Amino acid sequence: MELKINGKLHTVDVEENMPLLWVLRDELNMTGTKYGCGVASCGACTVHADGIPVKTCMLPASAFEGQEITTIEGIAEEGQLSDIQKAWIEHQVPQCGYCQSGMIMAAEALLNENPNPTDEDIDATMTNICRCGTYQRIREAIHTAAKNRQEKTELPG
Amino acid sequence: MSDNKPSKAKKWTRRAFIGTGGLLGVGLIVGVGGNWYLSKNAYNYSGKGFGDGHSLNAWIRISPDNRITIAVPRAEMGQGVHTSVPMLIAEELEVRMSDIDIIEPQPEPAYANTLLLNENPKDIHGSLKFMEKISHFLPLVATGGSTTIPDGYDYMRSAGATAREMLIQAAAEKWGVDKSECYAKDAQVINRKTNERFTYGELAEAASGIKLSGIPKFKEKKDWKLLGKPVQRLDIPNKVNGKAVFGLDARPEGVLYGAIRHATYHDGVINGVTNQAEIEAMPGVRKVVLLPKGMGVVAVADNTWRAKNAILAMQLDETGDKTLSSEKVEEHATEVVDGEMIAAPMNEGDAQAVLDNAEGVIEATYDVPYLAHACMEPINCTVLVKGDKAEAWVGHQGSSIVLDGVNAGAGVKKAGITVNNLYLGGGFGRRAEIDMVVNAAYVASQMEGTPIQLVYTREEDIRHEMYRPYAKAKFRAKLNEDGSIEAWENKLALQSVGYSSIMRIKPAFADSPAKDASTPEGAIHLPYNMKNAYMGFGQMELPIQVGNWRSVGNSHNGFFTECFIDECANAVGKDPYEYRKSLITKHPRFSAVLDKVAEMSNWGKPLPENRFHGIALLKSFRSIVAQVAEVTKVGDNQFSIDKFYCVIDCGRVVNPDTVEAQMVSGIIFGLSAALYGEITFKDGEVEQFNFPQYEMVRMNVAPTVEVHIMDVDEYPGGVGEPSTPPAAPALANALFAATGQRIRSLPLKNHGYEFV
Repeated sequence: MELKINGKLHTVDVEENMPLLWVLRDELNMTGTKYGCGVASCGACTVHADGIPVKTCMLPASAFEGQEITTIEGIAEEGQLSDIQKAWIEHQVPQCGYCQSGMIMAAEALLNENPNPTDEDIDATMTNICRCGTYQRIREAIHTAAKNRQEKTELPG
Repeated sequence: MSDNKPSKAKKWTRRAFIGTGGLLGVGLIVGVGGNWYLSKNAYNYSGKGFGDGHSLNAWIRISPDNRITIAVPRAEMGQGVHTSVPMLIAEELEVRMSDIDIIEPQPEPAYANTLLLNENPKDIHGSLKFMEKISHFLPLVATGGSTTIPDGYDYMRSAGATAREMLIQAAAEKWGVDKSECYAKDAQVINRKTNERFTYGELAEAASGIKLSGIPKFKEKKDWKLLGKPVQRLDIPNKVNGKAVFGLDARPEGVLYGAIRHATYHDGVINGVTNQAEIEAMPGVRKVVLLPKGMGVVAVADNTWRAKNAILAMQLDETGDKTLSSEKVEEHATEVVDGEMIAAPMNEGDAQAVLDNAEGVIEATYDVPYLAHACMEPINCTVLVKGDKAEAWVGHQGSSIVLDGVNAGAGVKKAGITVNNLYLGGGFGRRAEIDMVVNAAYVASQMEGTPIQLVYTREEDIRHEMYRPYAKAKFRAKLNEDGSIEAWENKLALQSVGYSSIMRIKPAFADSPAKDASTPEGAIHLPYNMKNAYMGFGQMELPIQVGNWRSVGNSHNGFFTECFIDECANAVGKDPYEYRKSLITKHPRFSAVLDKVAEMSNWGKPLPENRFHGIALLKSFRSIVAQVAEVTKVGDNQFSIDKFYCVIDCGRVVNPDTVEAQMVSGIIFGLSAALYGEITFKDGEVEQFNFPQYEMVRMNVAPTVEVHIMDVDEYPGGVGEPSTPPAAPALANALFAATGQRIRSLPLKNHGYEFV
């Protein structure tokens, strides 16, 4: 099957029902997307499919054919970290860091959908598990990134 | 200060548990001194993996282009030691964090964690021979027990200070001037008079041959540039772009993936796979390997998902006890707690006689369940075996334990083993265990030449691990009219974590569970004045593995003790804060912490309708933590945990941003257990499989946390664990304030509470 990941086409020869996660990790060695639970509960495996956040540990890779898949490795633009990534560093969000790929993908999608989320919006959308409990800094970083994004769009020209 | 003096109970503590020392715990470490750096073993290292340049000691290598490589022999699992250890060295070495590259060295004697071998390095220093003897055959290079900073505080600074002086001396010799005419700054040595300068890179070769006598004086606190200031973590940039390599991300050339299926029952044995031929014919499956003693079976495939499918399709011929149940565990706990105690680490006066003869004795029985660690990154280890050589890729809390594990599993001699210790996706004590290494090494030894990445699926991880033990405590107290404690008795029943884990890691060192120092931690050395005080424990005998779980004994004892002290306050009609304060008159550091948290939370002031406070105070891992939980009742048995106020006295602070992060982290960890956490048994099997049955606090439930770090100029304590134990009692005490219902068991979901 053919998969378009971070703008690049990949051909893989796997079972129709192999979840995208395992194609990314074990067939393409793109290990930024994480295995956490395998039952679409923790969100460590979150990527974007046509901009929509999806958990990839159960959904078959074949379902993603024809879609634009974006992983954590693909969100920096031309080597520039995204506003979310910058805010994650500014707030020193990650601890062990294992869940953070999924968290960042979920946060990117949230801001794309809702440029100025309230705490309630964040609660409702950011449902991934962080065992280190970095939620407070994630919340702060999302607000910072939202602010920075808005300031950019408000700049003339 | 009394909090800093070695305790009398110390001699009673450990010895038997050298080797793990209760890898994450043994919170009795008090008073630290001596200097490991001065010992002979501090020079026992190979420099393997350091790259170009000249080593000035085991921790510092400088390249000609002036890059400083710092060896950090501790595991990075989110607690920030890959930054805080370099900070200690950089401060004295006079280099900037931007000058530094870090590596994690091989587990060699120079890098031993001395605090895990003995709770008081002063003693070690006084009897260095004993220490050296131990270290020659057992350099325990490990991370746990919140020891990295207390262990490394002096000797990491020693490493930096001596290297700095060697570089200054090398420069002075080149210029032909006295050392006093030179000083070090930003990885250069500068001539005061001429302002000439050499980079460290230019001096390293000459400096490496210089021998100093003794350790130069450390910089004074007022001159610190890094220590005590928030420093950005070196590991974070790669943790936001997917480049950080965790154990499960290791991809050595030709790697195959193994999934383990453990024997279903906790003392069970797998005799074989009845449909093995069918399994081996599944897509991508290369081999089925039965593990020694039938404790598990591994399917090796060319993709983790295919290996996972293979273990799920296996039909096992296995035996085991199908009668184990949580009811049996609880019945057994009652027998043990009512029976003869095997140790009494706190026994002052005659509490039993007082209580047996007194009127109005308060009694309460508490219990908490088994808990899984549920590290975010499923347990794994990758091993390649080739003849008399082996290589391991793993995120592990004990790189020396990895050597032991590869040796045990594959039979390769330790000298032939290379350890690549990668980032840990959570540790919490689980990654101090040896099983994943032994199992991966065994499978790799059956497939020589092929690296095998063994993974425990989430289900296998949750259902088959070394749990925080179930624990039951029975309290009695006799209070005087003014509330003072005339007599206090606490009898505890559980399975010894130290005994269970030493039997897995170094059985030759095993002694009696009675000697496990982690069992009573959080139940003894309490700051409260008590006239007659008794704490004893009994050993539960069950076929369940138990292990170190973030904060170890403090995790259950903190809940028991701090809720029961609340019961005492209530019994004499006193405010829980005022009551504690009245009992800690001999401990000014405790008082200061307690007062601060009361001030921050506006304790005692009128609260808005339906809002309630609960308080808890506990010293663990050499640090004192007090917390106030602030909850709002939003419906029948429905609460919002709005906020936690948290104050820590951890002595001198290395990286305050990390301390703050660890305080928040420990609270959320404690709350996940308090709200939801339980591992239960039915018909011999664990009833929980994955996060839907073993839930975690998520964003919507997580409180905001306000942290205050006390400014105390004392030797540093640990920070990775001490905020976990007070979280559950602070919350339970707040719920008592709200409902009048005393919570004596966890998790709260079993009491019908819902959190939104």
